[in-house]
Amino acid sequence: MPRQYELADASVVVVIGSGAGGGTLANELAQKGLDVVCVEAGARLTLADVENDPAVMDERMGWNDPRIGPPVWLCKTVGGTTMRWSAITPRIRPHELRPRTTYGLLDGTSLIDWPIAFEEIEPYYVRAENKMGVTGTHGIPPSFETSNYKVLAAGGRAIGYTEITSTRTAINSVARDGRPACLQIGFCHEGCKIGAKWSTLYTEIPKAEATEHFELRTEALALRINHDAAGRVTGVVYADANGVMHEQRARAVAVAGNVVETTRLLLNSESARFPNGLGNSTGQLGRNYMRHVTSLISAVMPGDVNYHKGTRQSGIILDEQYHRPGRGFAGGYIIETASDYPLGVVSVTGGWGQPVAERVEKFTRLAGVFITGEDPPQPDNRITLHATERDAYGLAVPVIEYAMHPNSLAMQEHAIRQTTELYESIGGRDVIASRGIGLACHNMGVARMSRSPDDGVTNAFGQVHDIANLFVSDGSVFSSSGAANPTLTIVALAIRQADHIAGRIERREL
Amino acid sequence: MNETVTTRRRFLVAAIGLCGSTAGLPVCRAWAQGNARLDAAELPSIVEMARRLYPHVWLPDEVYAEVLNDALTSVAAGQAARAAVTAAEAALDAGESGRFVGLDTAVQVEALRAIEAEPYFATIQMAVRDRLYNHPTVWEMLGYEGPSFERGGYLNRGAGDIDWLPETD
Repeated sequence: MPRQYELADASVVVVIGSGAGGGTLANELAQKGLDVVCVEAGARLTLADVENDPAVMDERMGWNDPRIGPPVWLCKTVGGTTMRWSAITPRIRPHELRPRTTYGLLDGTSLIDWPIAFEEIEPYYVRAENKMGVTGTHGIPPSFETSNYKVLAAGGRAIGYTEITSTRTAINSVARDGRPACLQIGFCHEGCKIGAKWSTLYTEIPKAEATEHFELRTEALALRINHDAAGRVTGVVYADANGVMHEQRARAVAVAGNVVETTRLLLNSESARFPNGLGNSTGQLGRNYMRHVTSLISAVMPGDVNYHKGTRQSGIILDEQYHRPGRGFAGGYIIETASDYPLGVVSVTGGWGQPVAERVEKFTRLAGVFITGEDPPQPDNRITLHATERDAYGLAVPVIEYAMHPNSLAMQEHAIRQTTELYESIGGRDVIASRGIGLACHNMGVARMSRSPDDGVTNAFGQVHDIANLFVSDGSVFSSSGAANPTLTIVALAIRQADHIAGRIERREL
Repeated sequence: MNETVTTRRRFLVAAIGLCGSTAGLPVCRAWAQGNARLDAAELPSIVEMARRLYPHVWLPDEVYAEVLNDALTSVAAGQAARAAVTAAEAALDAGESGRFVGLDTAVQVEALRAIEAEPYFATIQMAVRDRLYNHPTVWEMLGYEGPSFERGGYLNRGAGDIDWLPETD
C-alpha cells in the first residue's frame, strides 16, 4: 500500500520530478526507510496507454509549454524523459571529469573540473548499470544487433575503429528484474510498450511504493520552494490537477525537473532573503547551460537496411570519445545508431520538392546515426525567466539563450566527416547531416557542481551551496557535459546523493 | 467504413461553419456539396501544389486530396489551413494563364518558390507533410511497415536481416 502523508508532515523529503534523477533518488531514499513525497507535474500512464504513434505519445507525455529559444524535448509524465529516451548508457570517461585540467583554457568557455574524482563515481556507475539492466554489464548479454547496427559496425571496422559495441543500452536483452526482453518493436521514443526499456515509471516508482515509505503525487506542478528565516527550505508549494494550491512541508527538498524546469522553479522561488532565486547568490544559477554537440546523419546504402525494424539504437562507437587535440577541437564524441520514420526523414531532410521526395523514397536503404559530443560550458549560454511573458499557469516563460562554441562547430564537422567516410567505405552515398543546434534531449549545467560557490550552484553532492537542505538531482548538476548520453550519470549521481542524504539524516544533520 | 462516416460528419460540421461566414469561396462550394473527400476538381491548384511539394509519381491525386481534406477539416488547424488554401489558390492562379494546373513542372516549381516565404505556404506544407508521411498508402509504397507491437514487434519479422553487407575487419 502506498503511504499518504499529511501536508504538514515536515519529516518527509520532497522530491520534485519522477524521472531518471527524481525517481531514482526517491526510490533509493525509500529503500533506506526514509519517508519521501514525490511531486510530479505529469500524469501516470500505464503500458496500456503506450501506442506506437509519435504524435499521440507526444500529446500524452510531452512537456510542450511555451519556451523562448532553441527547442528542448522534455516530458511531463511519471517517468519523465526515461519514457522517451533512447536508453543509450555509456559512461563519462575519467578525463571528461577533468576538462579544465585536460583541455586547458578554451576561449569563451567556463570549464571547471568536477568536484568528484572518477573513482568516487565509478561504484555508483556499477550500481546504476545493475539497476537499469545495462547490456554488457553484470553478465547481461549484448543488445540485439539491428541491421542499422550491422551497417555501422561494418563501416566502423572499415575505417579502423575498434571500440564498436552493441552493449551499453538499458533495454533488456533478456528478461530481467520483472521486465521482459526487447521484442524489437521500435518506437522507443514513444514509451516502451512492453517495459523492456528502463523507465522509472515501472521500476523505481513501484519499488518505492512497495516500501510504504513513499507517496507519488501526480499532476502536481511545483510552483515554489519556501524557506525559513534561517535560510533552510521548509516546503514545496504545488498546484494539483484542479489548480488548487497546496504546500507540502519537508525536512529537505530535491529538485529534478530536467534543467529548464529546475531553473524556472529555483528562480521563481525568489524571496527577500534570496532575491535572485534559490541557489543564485553568486549569479550562477541558469548559466553554463549545455546540450551536447549533436548531429543526425544518414546515408543511402547499396541495399536494404530497413532501419525501422527494431530498436532505434542497438550499438555505439566509442573511438572518438577521447581528447585528441590533433583533430582540431577539445573533447570527444560518440557515434550511436539512430533510425527514423518517414515523416522524420522528410523533416530532417528539410525543404520540399524533388530532393526530399527522392530521399524518402530510399527509405528502406537508409542507415543512420546520432552524434553526441562534449559541449563546453559558456556563461552566457543560460536559462532565465521572461520579464513579462506568462504561460497558462501564470508562470514566467523560460528564455533559453544558447550559441554553439567554435569548438563544438569543429567537433560537429569532424563527426560528420568521419561518419561520411564510414558509410562511404561500404558503399553508402548521399550522406545528409544536420548541422548547428539540434533539438535538445540532453540538457545539462545550470546548477553545476563546483568546489566554490563562485563558479557553480551545488557542491559535490548536488546540495545547493548556501542552503543545507536543498538539493538538485538531475542533469543540472553536471559540471561539464562529457560526451556520454547523460541519463546513466544522472542515475549514478542520484544513488550517490541518496547515500549522502541518508547519512546526513542519520547523523541528524538534516 | 466507420472512419469514412466519421470523417464525413466532421467534414459537414466544419463546412456549415465555414459557409456561414465566408460564402462564395471555391472551398465553400466543394464543402457545401457535402463531399466527404475533397473534390479535386474544386481545388485543383492546391492538389497540384501538394504534389509539387512532395512529388511521388506513384501516388494518385486522390491521396494528396485526401490529406488536404483532412487538414482543412481538422478541428485544431482547420481554420488556419482554410485561410492558407484561399491565399495560396489566389497566388498560384494569378499567372498569365490564370491556372496553375497544366503549367510545366518547372514553371510550377518556380511559382511555388515565389511564395515559399509566405506564412500560408508553410501552413500548407506542414499540413500536407505531416499527413502524407503518416498515410498508409505512402508507408506501403516506401516499404515502411509502421507500428509493430500488435504483430509482436519486428524480432521475428525482419529485424537484423541484411544480405548485402561486405565483410570488413
